[in-house]
Amino acid sequence: MQYVDSWRAVAAATGAADRAAAEDGVRLAYRAAGLAGPEEIVWADSPRAAVEAVAGLADAGRSVRDEVRTRPWAEERRRVYDALGPAGWSALWSATGAQLWETTAGLAERIRAGVVADLGGDPDAESRVRLLLLDAVLGQHDAAWLAAFDGRGDRLDGLAAVARNAGWWWPYERVAVISERPQVLRRDEAGRLDRGDGPALSYPDGFALYAWRGMPVPPDFLDELSALTPRRIRTEENAELRRVMLEYYGYDRYLTESGAEPVHRDETGILWRIALAGDEDVVMVEVVNSTPEPDGTHRTYWLRVPPTTRTARAGVAWTFGLSGETYAPLRQT
Amino acid sequence: MYRQGDVLIMALEESAVPAHLLEAPGELRDARGRLVLALGEVTGHAHAVPGPGRLIREGGVFGPMLLHLPEGGRVVHEEHATIPLPQGWFRVVRQREYAPGAVRIVAD
Repeated sequence: MQYVDSWRAVAAATGAADRAAAEDGVRLAYRAAGLAGPEEIVWADSPRAAVEAVAGLADAGRSVRDEVRTRPWAEERRRVYDALGPAGWSALWSATGAQLWETTAGLAERIRAGVVADLGGDPDAESRVRLLLLDAVLGQHDAAWLAAFDGRGDRLDGLAAVARNAGWWWPYERVAVISERPQVLRRDEAGRLDRGDGPALSYPDGFALYAWRGMPVPPDFLDELSALTPRRIRTEENAELRRVMLEYYGYDRYLTESGAEPVHRDETGILWRIALAGDEDVVMVEVVNSTPEPDGTHRTYWLRVPPTTRTARAGVAWTFGLSGETYAPLRQT
Repeated sequence: MYRQGDVLIMALEESAVPAHLLEAPGELRDARGRLVLALGEVTGHAHAVPGPGRLIREGGVFGPMLLHLPEGGRVVHEEHATIPLPQGWFRVVRQREYAPGAVRIVAD
Protein backbone atom coordinates (compact mmCIF):
# COMPACT_ATOMS: atom_id res chain seq x y z
CA MET A 1 0.00 0.00 0.00
CA GLN A 2 2.92 2.35 0.64
CA TYR A 3 3.85 1.86 -3.03
CA VAL A 4 0.38 2.82 -4.12
CA ASP A 5 0.51 6.10 -2.25
CA SER A 6 3.82 7.11 -3.79
CA TRP A 7 2.61 6.15 -7.29
CA ARG A 8 -0.64 7.99 -6.69
CA ALA A 9 1.50 11.08 -6.15
CA VAL A 10 3.52 10.35 -9.31
CA ALA A 11 0.34 10.10 -11.39
CA ALA A 12 -0.84 13.48 -10.08
CA ALA A 13 2.56 15.22 -10.14
CA THR A 14 2.76 18.66 -11.76
CA GLY A 15 5.60 21.07 -12.38
CA ALA A 16 8.84 21.10 -14.31
CA ALA A 17 10.43 17.77 -15.12
CA ASP A 18 13.79 16.81 -13.67
CA ARG A 19 15.27 16.55 -17.14
CA ALA A 20 18.60 15.00 -16.18
CA ALA A 21 16.92 12.29 -14.07
CA ALA A 22 14.33 11.58 -16.78
CA GLU A 23 17.02 11.32 -19.47
CA ASP A 24 19.00 8.92 -17.27
CA GLY A 25 15.81 6.87 -16.93
CA VAL A 26 15.32 6.80 -20.69
CA ARG A 27 18.89 5.58 -21.25
CA LEU A 28 18.50 2.95 -18.54
CA ALA A 29 15.27 1.71 -20.14
CA TYR A 30 17.02 1.40 -23.53
CA ARG A 31 19.97 -0.44 -21.96
CA ALA A 32 17.63 -2.82 -20.12
CA ALA A 33 16.05 -3.60 -23.49
CA GLY A 34 19.46 -4.34 -25.03
CA LEU A 35 19.43 -1.16 -27.13
CA ALA A 36 22.17 1.39 -27.61
CA GLY A 37 20.15 4.33 -26.38
CA PRO A 38 18.95 7.40 -28.26
CA GLU A 39 21.54 9.62 -29.91
CA GLU A 40 19.33 12.61 -29.26
CA ILE A 41 16.71 13.49 -26.66
CA VAL A 42 14.15 16.14 -27.60
CA TRP A 43 12.01 17.89 -24.97
CA ALA A 44 8.48 19.14 -25.63
CA ASP A 45 6.25 21.27 -23.40
CA SER A 46 3.16 19.05 -23.67
CA PRO A 47 1.98 15.76 -25.18
CA ARG A 48 0.54 17.83 -28.03
CA ALA A 49 3.89 19.51 -28.68
CA ALA A 50 5.57 16.11 -28.38
CA VAL A 51 3.30 14.66 -31.08
CA GLU A 52 4.19 17.62 -33.31
CA ALA A 53 7.88 17.09 -32.56
CA VAL A 54 7.62 13.38 -33.35
CA ALA A 55 5.81 14.14 -36.61
CA GLY A 56 8.68 16.43 -37.58
CA LEU A 57 11.51 13.97 -36.86
CA ALA A 58 13.46 13.27 -40.03
CA ASP A 59 15.51 10.22 -39.18
CA ALA A 60 14.44 8.86 -35.80
CA GLY A 61 14.38 5.19 -36.76
CA ARG A 62 11.56 2.83 -35.84
CA SER A 63 9.56 2.97 -32.63
CA VAL A 64 11.16 0.85 -29.92
CA ARG A 65 8.21 1.10 -27.55
CA ASP A 66 7.69 -2.66 -27.65
CA GLU A 67 11.27 -3.45 -26.63
CA VAL A 68 11.53 -0.63 -24.10
CA ARG A 69 8.16 -0.90 -22.43
CA THR A 70 5.72 -3.54 -23.60
CA ARG A 71 7.94 -6.62 -23.63
CA PRO A 72 9.67 -6.01 -20.27
CA TRP A 73 6.27 -5.31 -18.74
CA ALA A 74 4.73 -8.47 -20.12
CA GLU A 75 7.69 -10.50 -18.92
CA GLU A 76 7.61 -8.96 -15.46
CA ARG A 77 3.92 -9.65 -15.26
CA ARG A 78 4.48 -13.26 -16.25
CA ARG A 79 7.30 -13.64 -13.71
CA VAL A 80 5.28 -12.14 -10.84
CA TYR A 81 2.19 -14.08 -11.87
CA ASP A 82 4.11 -17.37 -11.89
CA ALA A 83 5.58 -16.58 -8.49
CA LEU A 84 2.29 -15.55 -6.87
CA GLY A 85 -0.26 -17.71 -8.69
CA PRO A 86 -3.58 -16.44 -10.06
CA ALA A 87 -5.07 -15.54 -6.66
CA GLY A 88 -1.85 -13.90 -5.50
CA TRP A 89 -1.54 -11.86 -8.68
CA SER A 90 -5.14 -10.81 -8.44
CA ALA A 91 -4.63 -9.74 -4.81
CA LEU A 92 -1.48 -7.81 -5.72
CA TRP A 93 -3.19 -6.01 -8.60
CA SER A 94 -6.23 -5.16 -6.53
CA ALA A 95 -3.99 -3.75 -3.75
CA THR A 96 -1.84 -1.72 -6.14
CA GLY A 97 -2.63 -1.02 -9.78
CA ALA A 98 -6.40 -1.33 -9.49
CA GLN A 99 -6.42 1.54 -6.97
CA LEU A 100 -4.96 3.91 -9.54
CA TRP A 101 -6.28 2.45 -12.76
CA GLU A 102 -9.57 4.24 -13.15
CA THR A 103 -8.34 7.76 -12.49
CA THR A 104 -5.07 7.54 -14.45
CA ALA A 105 -6.47 5.61 -17.42
CA GLY A 106 -9.34 8.10 -17.59
CA LEU A 107 -6.96 11.06 -17.47
CA ALA A 108 -4.70 9.58 -20.17
CA GLU A 109 -7.69 9.03 -22.42
CA ARG A 110 -8.78 12.64 -21.94
CA ILE A 111 -5.30 13.87 -22.83
CA ARG A 112 -5.28 11.70 -25.97
CA ALA A 113 -8.68 13.04 -26.97
CA GLY A 114 -7.47 16.60 -26.35
CA VAL A 115 -4.38 16.12 -28.53
CA VAL A 116 -6.49 14.58 -31.31
CA ALA A 117 -9.00 17.43 -31.08
CA ASP A 118 -6.24 20.05 -31.28
CA LEU A 119 -4.14 18.48 -34.05
CA GLY A 120 -6.62 16.24 -35.84
CA GLY A 121 -8.30 18.59 -38.32
CA ASP A 122 -9.42 16.24 -41.10
CA PRO A 123 -9.81 12.43 -40.87
CA ASP A 124 -6.34 11.76 -42.38
CA ALA A 125 -4.62 14.06 -39.92
CA GLU A 126 -6.62 12.50 -37.13
CA SER A 127 -5.41 8.98 -37.96
CA ARG A 128 -1.83 10.21 -38.18
CA VAL A 129 -2.10 11.78 -34.71
CA ARG A 130 -3.72 8.65 -33.29
CA LEU A 131 -0.92 6.49 -34.69
CA LEU A 132 1.74 8.72 -33.14
CA LEU A 133 -0.11 8.57 -29.81
CA LEU A 134 0.12 4.78 -29.98
CA ASP A 135 3.92 5.09 -29.84
CA ALA A 136 3.78 6.97 -26.53
CA VAL A 137 4.94 5.58 -23.22
CA LEU A 138 2.68 7.25 -20.67
CA GLY A 139 5.33 7.99 -18.05
CA GLN A 140 3.63 9.28 -14.92
CA HIS A 141 0.29 7.96 -16.19
CA ASP A 142 1.65 4.41 -16.29
CA ALA A 143 1.61 4.66 -12.48
CA ALA A 144 -0.92 1.85 -12.02
CA TRP A 145 1.31 -0.77 -13.67
CA LEU A 146 4.48 0.58 -12.15
CA ALA A 147 2.87 0.43 -8.68
CA ALA A 148 2.09 -3.26 -9.19
CA PHE A 149 5.72 -4.09 -10.05
CA ASP A 150 7.40 -1.74 -7.57
CA GLY A 151 9.76 -3.50 -5.17
CA ARG A 152 9.75 -6.75 -7.17
CA GLY A 153 12.87 -6.37 -9.30
CA ASP A 154 14.97 -3.80 -11.12
CA ARG A 155 14.00 -4.54 -14.70
CA LEU A 156 11.57 -1.61 -14.95
CA ASP A 157 13.75 0.89 -13.08
CA GLY A 158 14.35 2.99 -16.20
CA LEU A 159 10.63 3.26 -16.97
CA ALA A 160 9.94 4.08 -13.32
CA ALA A 161 12.61 6.79 -13.30
CA VAL A 162 11.12 8.54 -16.34
CA ALA A 163 7.64 8.27 -14.82
CA ARG A 164 8.81 9.87 -11.57
CA ASN A 165 10.50 12.77 -13.34
CA ALA A 166 8.63 13.61 -16.54
CA GLY A 167 5.46 13.18 -18.56
CA TRP A 168 4.72 11.06 -21.63
CA TRP A 169 7.62 10.00 -23.87
CA TRP A 170 8.25 8.50 -27.27
CA PRO A 171 11.15 6.06 -27.72
CA TYR A 172 12.57 5.65 -31.24
CA GLU A 173 15.80 3.98 -32.29
CA ARG A 174 17.83 7.16 -32.57
CA VAL A 175 15.69 9.80 -30.86
CA ALA A 176 13.57 9.96 -27.73
CA VAL A 177 10.98 12.72 -27.33
CA ILE A 178 9.92 13.55 -23.76
CA SER A 179 7.05 15.77 -22.67
CA GLU A 180 6.99 18.00 -19.64
CA ARG A 181 4.40 17.28 -16.94
CA PRO A 182 1.30 19.44 -16.53
CA GLN A 183 1.62 22.76 -14.71
CA VAL A 184 -1.92 22.53 -13.40
CA LEU A 185 -4.00 19.49 -12.49
CA ARG A 186 -7.24 20.13 -10.63
CA ARG A 187 -9.46 17.23 -9.70
CA ASP A 188 -12.41 16.65 -7.39
CA GLU A 189 -12.44 14.16 -4.54
CA ALA A 190 -13.31 11.33 -6.92
CA GLY A 191 -10.24 12.13 -9.01
CA ARG A 192 -12.18 13.59 -11.95
CA LEU A 193 -10.92 16.69 -13.77
CA ASP A 194 -12.74 19.60 -12.18
CA ARG A 195 -12.33 23.37 -12.24
CA GLY A 196 -14.81 26.17 -12.59
CA ASP A 197 -12.48 29.12 -13.24
CA GLY A 198 -9.83 27.91 -15.65
CA PRO A 199 -8.31 24.81 -17.20
CA ALA A 200 -8.46 21.66 -15.06
CA LEU A 201 -5.30 20.45 -16.79
CA SER A 202 -2.73 22.64 -18.48
CA TYR A 203 0.81 22.31 -19.79
CA PRO A 204 3.51 24.99 -20.05
CA ASP A 205 2.78 25.63 -23.77
CA GLY A 206 -0.92 26.29 -23.18
CA PHE A 207 -2.25 22.87 -24.15
CA ALA A 208 -5.21 22.53 -21.77
CA LEU A 209 -8.36 20.61 -20.94
CA TYR A 210 -11.43 22.17 -19.36
CA ALA A 211 -13.81 20.10 -17.25
CA TRP A 212 -16.39 20.45 -14.54
CA ARG A 213 -16.67 17.43 -12.24
CA GLY A 214 -15.17 15.25 -14.92
CA MET A 215 -17.38 16.49 -17.73
CA PRO A 216 -15.49 18.10 -20.65
CA VAL A 217 -16.65 21.67 -21.33
CA PRO A 218 -15.61 24.26 -23.93
CA PRO A 219 -13.14 26.85 -22.51
CA ASP A 220 -15.46 29.85 -23.04
CA PHE A 221 -18.31 27.99 -21.35
CA LEU A 222 -16.70 28.59 -17.95
CA ASP A 223 -16.77 32.38 -18.41
CA GLU A 224 -20.51 32.19 -18.68
CA LEU A 225 -20.99 30.21 -15.49
CA SER A 226 -20.55 33.17 -13.16
CA ALA A 227 -23.47 35.00 -14.81
CA LEU A 228 -26.00 32.16 -14.95
CA THR A 229 -29.73 32.61 -14.42
CA PRO A 230 -32.42 29.94 -14.02
CA ARG A 231 -33.81 31.10 -17.38
CA ARG A 232 -30.46 30.64 -19.12
CA ILE A 233 -30.19 27.14 -17.63
CA ARG A 234 -33.70 26.22 -18.80
CA THR A 235 -32.98 27.40 -22.33
CA GLU A 236 -29.64 25.60 -22.75
CA GLU A 237 -30.29 22.93 -25.36
CA ASN A 238 -27.28 20.72 -24.71
CA ALA A 239 -28.35 18.42 -21.85
CA GLU A 240 -24.80 17.81 -20.65
CA LEU A 241 -23.90 21.48 -20.50
CA ARG A 242 -27.21 22.18 -18.78
CA ARG A 243 -26.30 19.59 -16.16
CA VAL A 244 -22.98 21.35 -15.60
CA MET A 245 -24.81 24.69 -15.34
CA LEU A 246 -27.19 23.24 -12.76
CA GLU A 247 -24.38 21.80 -10.70
CA TYR A 248 -22.39 25.02 -10.87
CA TYR A 249 -25.35 27.25 -10.12
CA GLY A 250 -26.33 25.01 -7.22
CA TYR A 251 -29.41 22.81 -7.16
CA ASP A 252 -30.54 24.48 -3.96
CA ARG A 253 -30.40 27.98 -5.48
CA TYR A 254 -32.08 26.77 -8.62
CA LEU A 255 -34.82 25.07 -6.62
CA THR A 256 -35.46 28.22 -4.62
CA GLU A 257 -35.37 30.66 -7.54
CA SER A 258 -37.38 28.52 -9.91
CA GLY A 259 -40.08 28.02 -7.28
CA ALA A 260 -39.78 24.23 -7.23
CA GLU A 261 -41.89 22.37 -4.67
CA PRO A 262 -40.69 19.31 -2.80
CA VAL A 263 -42.52 16.16 -3.95
CA HIS A 264 -41.91 14.04 -0.88
CA ARG A 265 -40.46 14.35 2.58
CA ASP A 266 -39.59 11.73 5.20
CA GLU A 267 -37.02 11.14 7.97
CA THR A 268 -34.23 10.44 5.43
CA GLY A 269 -34.61 13.72 3.54
CA ILE A 270 -36.60 15.64 0.94
CA LEU A 271 -37.27 14.63 -2.66
CA TRP A 272 -37.28 17.37 -5.33
CA ARG A 273 -38.23 17.25 -8.99
CA ILE A 274 -37.38 19.76 -11.71
CA ALA A 275 -39.11 19.31 -15.05
CA LEU A 276 -36.93 20.21 -18.03
CA ALA A 277 -38.30 20.66 -21.53
CA GLY A 278 -37.06 17.99 -23.93
CA ASP A 279 -35.10 16.12 -21.26
CA GLU A 280 -35.79 13.76 -18.40
CA ASP A 281 -36.74 15.33 -15.09
CA VAL A 282 -34.02 16.09 -12.60
CA VAL A 283 -34.95 14.26 -9.39
CA MET A 284 -32.85 14.84 -6.30
CA VAL A 285 -32.82 13.90 -2.67
CA GLU A 286 -31.86 16.61 -0.24
CA VAL A 287 -30.09 15.11 2.74
CA VAL A 288 -28.45 16.59 5.80
CA ASN A 289 -24.94 15.49 6.68
CA SER A 290 -25.10 13.73 10.05
CA THR A 291 -21.76 15.02 11.26
CA PRO A 292 -21.83 18.73 12.16
CA GLU A 293 -19.35 21.09 10.52
CA PRO A 294 -16.73 22.72 12.80
CA ASP A 295 -19.12 25.65 13.37
CA GLY A 296 -21.89 23.32 14.57
CA THR A 297 -24.10 23.62 11.50
CA HIS A 298 -25.09 20.61 9.41
CA ARG A 299 -24.23 20.67 5.72
CA THR A 300 -27.12 19.99 3.37
CA TYR A 301 -26.37 18.31 0.08
CA TRP A 302 -28.21 17.07 -2.98
CA LEU A 303 -27.81 13.77 -4.76
CA ARG A 304 -29.34 13.14 -8.14
CA VAL A 305 -31.36 9.90 -8.33
CA PRO A 306 -33.24 8.16 -11.16
CA PRO A 307 -36.31 10.05 -12.41
CA THR A 308 -38.56 7.13 -11.42
CA THR A 309 -37.85 7.73 -7.71
CA ARG A 310 -41.03 8.45 -5.70
CA THR A 311 -39.91 8.92 -2.09
CA ALA A 312 -36.93 10.47 -0.32
CA ARG A 313 -36.18 7.17 1.39
CA ALA A 314 -36.20 5.28 -1.93
CA GLY A 315 -33.84 7.94 -3.32
CA VAL A 316 -31.31 7.69 -0.50
CA ALA A 317 -31.57 3.87 -0.60
CA TRP A 318 -30.91 3.92 -4.37
CA THR A 319 -27.64 5.76 -3.83
CA PHE A 320 -26.45 2.67 -1.96
CA GLY A 321 -27.99 0.17 -4.37
CA LEU A 322 -30.84 -0.72 -1.98
CA SER A 323 -34.62 -0.55 -2.06
CA GLY A 324 -36.45 1.87 0.23
CA GLU A 325 -37.74 -1.00 2.40
CA THR A 326 -34.27 -2.40 3.13
CA TYR A 327 -32.50 0.89 3.86
CA ALA A 328 -32.37 1.41 7.63
CA PRO A 329 -29.06 2.53 9.17
CA LEU A 330 -28.78 1.93 12.91
CA ARG A 331 -26.26 4.67 13.15
CA GLN A 332 -24.95 7.34 10.83
CA THR A 333 -22.18 9.89 11.15
CA MET B 1 -26.55 -1.23 8.86
CA TYR B 2 -24.19 1.69 9.51
CA ARG B 3 -23.46 4.75 7.47
CA GLN B 4 -20.40 6.98 7.60
CA GLY B 5 -20.68 9.73 4.99
CA ASP B 6 -20.70 8.15 1.55
CA VAL B 7 -20.02 4.62 2.80
CA LEU B 8 -22.70 2.15 3.93
CA ILE B 9 -21.73 -0.90 5.99
CA MET B 10 -24.28 -3.72 6.13
CA ALA B 11 -24.03 -6.70 8.48
CA LEU B 12 -24.01 -9.99 6.62
CA GLU B 13 -24.65 -13.54 7.90
CA GLU B 14 -21.53 -15.64 7.48
CA SER B 15 -23.66 -18.17 5.60
CA ALA B 16 -24.37 -15.47 3.01
CA VAL B 17 -20.67 -14.94 2.26
CA PRO B 18 -19.70 -16.74 -0.96
CA ALA B 19 -17.60 -19.80 -0.02
CA HIS B 20 -14.64 -18.80 -2.18
CA LEU B 21 -14.38 -15.47 -0.36
CA LEU B 22 -14.37 -16.87 3.20
CA GLU B 23 -10.62 -17.49 3.03
CA ALA B 24 -9.79 -15.12 0.16
CA PRO B 25 -6.68 -12.96 0.61
CA GLY B 26 -7.50 -9.52 1.95
CA GLU B 27 -6.54 -6.06 0.79
CA LEU B 28 -3.22 -4.70 2.00
CA ARG B 29 -3.29 -2.10 4.76
CA ASP B 30 -2.25 1.50 4.17
CA ALA B 31 0.95 3.07 5.50
CA ARG B 32 -0.83 3.67 8.84
CA GLY B 33 -1.77 -0.01 9.12
CA ARG B 34 -5.46 0.54 8.38
CA LEU B 35 -7.95 -1.19 6.09
CA VAL B 36 -9.15 1.53 3.73
CA LEU B 37 -12.83 1.23 2.78
CA ALA B 38 -12.80 4.38 0.64
CA LEU B 39 -10.19 7.04 -0.01
CA GLY B 40 -10.67 10.66 -1.06
CA GLU B 41 -8.40 11.10 -4.07
CA VAL B 42 -7.49 14.70 -3.30
CA THR B 43 -7.74 15.22 0.47
CA GLY B 44 -6.44 11.74 1.27
CA HIS B 45 -9.18 11.46 3.91
CA ALA B 46 -10.20 7.85 4.32
CA HIS B 47 -13.01 5.75 5.72
CA ALA B 48 -10.80 3.18 7.44
CA VAL B 49 -10.72 0.34 9.98
CA PRO B 50 -7.61 0.49 12.19
CA GLY B 51 -7.86 -2.81 14.13
CA PRO B 52 -7.72 -6.51 13.28
CA GLY B 53 -9.82 -7.70 10.37
CA ARG B 54 -9.79 -8.35 6.66
CA LEU B 55 -11.17 -6.46 3.68
CA ILE B 56 -11.98 -8.45 0.55
CA ARG B 57 -12.60 -6.67 -2.71
CA GLU B 58 -15.15 -8.41 -4.89
CA GLY B 59 -15.52 -6.16 -7.86
CA GLY B 60 -14.16 -2.93 -9.32
CA VAL B 61 -12.29 -0.12 -7.69
CA PHE B 62 -15.32 1.16 -5.81
CA GLY B 63 -16.49 -2.17 -4.48
CA PRO B 64 -18.55 -3.91 -3.46
CA MET B 65 -16.29 -5.13 -0.71
CA LEU B 66 -16.64 -7.54 2.18
CA LEU B 67 -15.28 -6.69 5.61
CA HIS B 68 -14.60 -9.39 8.20
CA LEU B 69 -14.10 -8.27 11.80
CA PRO B 70 -13.56 -11.39 13.92
CA GLU B 71 -13.22 -9.26 17.06
CA GLY B 72 -15.40 -6.31 16.11
CA GLY B 73 -13.83 -2.94 15.38
CA ARG B 74 -14.52 0.66 14.41
CA VAL B 75 -14.64 2.81 11.30
CA VAL B 76 -12.83 6.11 11.48
CA HIS B 77 -12.71 9.16 9.19
CA GLU B 78 -11.08 12.58 9.47
CA GLU B 79 -14.43 14.41 9.22
CA HIS B 80 -17.01 11.95 10.53
CA ALA B 81 -17.61 10.52 13.99
CA THR B 82 -16.19 7.03 14.62
CA ILE B 83 -18.66 4.15 14.33
CA PRO B 84 -18.12 1.02 16.46
CA LEU B 85 -18.95 -2.26 14.71
CA PRO B 86 -19.80 -5.64 16.28
CA GLN B 87 -17.86 -8.75 15.28
CA GLY B 88 -18.91 -10.46 12.05
CA TRP B 89 -19.08 -9.99 8.30
CA PHE B 90 -20.17 -6.82 6.52
CA ARG B 91 -20.81 -5.65 3.00
CA VAL B 92 -19.31 -2.22 2.27
CA VAL B 93 -21.06 -0.09 -0.36
CA ARG B 94 -19.89 3.27 -1.70
CA GLN B 95 -22.59 5.85 -2.37
CA ARG B 96 -23.41 6.59 -5.99
CA GLU B 97 -25.26 9.32 -7.81
CA TYR B 98 -27.47 9.15 -10.85
CA ALA B 99 -26.41 10.87 -14.04
CA PRO B 100 -28.35 10.38 -17.27
CA GLY B 101 -26.58 7.63 -19.19
CA ALA B 102 -24.14 6.92 -16.38
CA VAL B 103 -23.84 6.42 -12.66
CA ARG B 104 -21.05 8.04 -10.74
CA ILE B 105 -19.73 7.61 -7.26
CA VAL B 106 -20.16 10.29 -4.64
CA ALA B 107 -17.19 11.98 -3.05
CA ASP B 108 -17.99 13.51 0.32
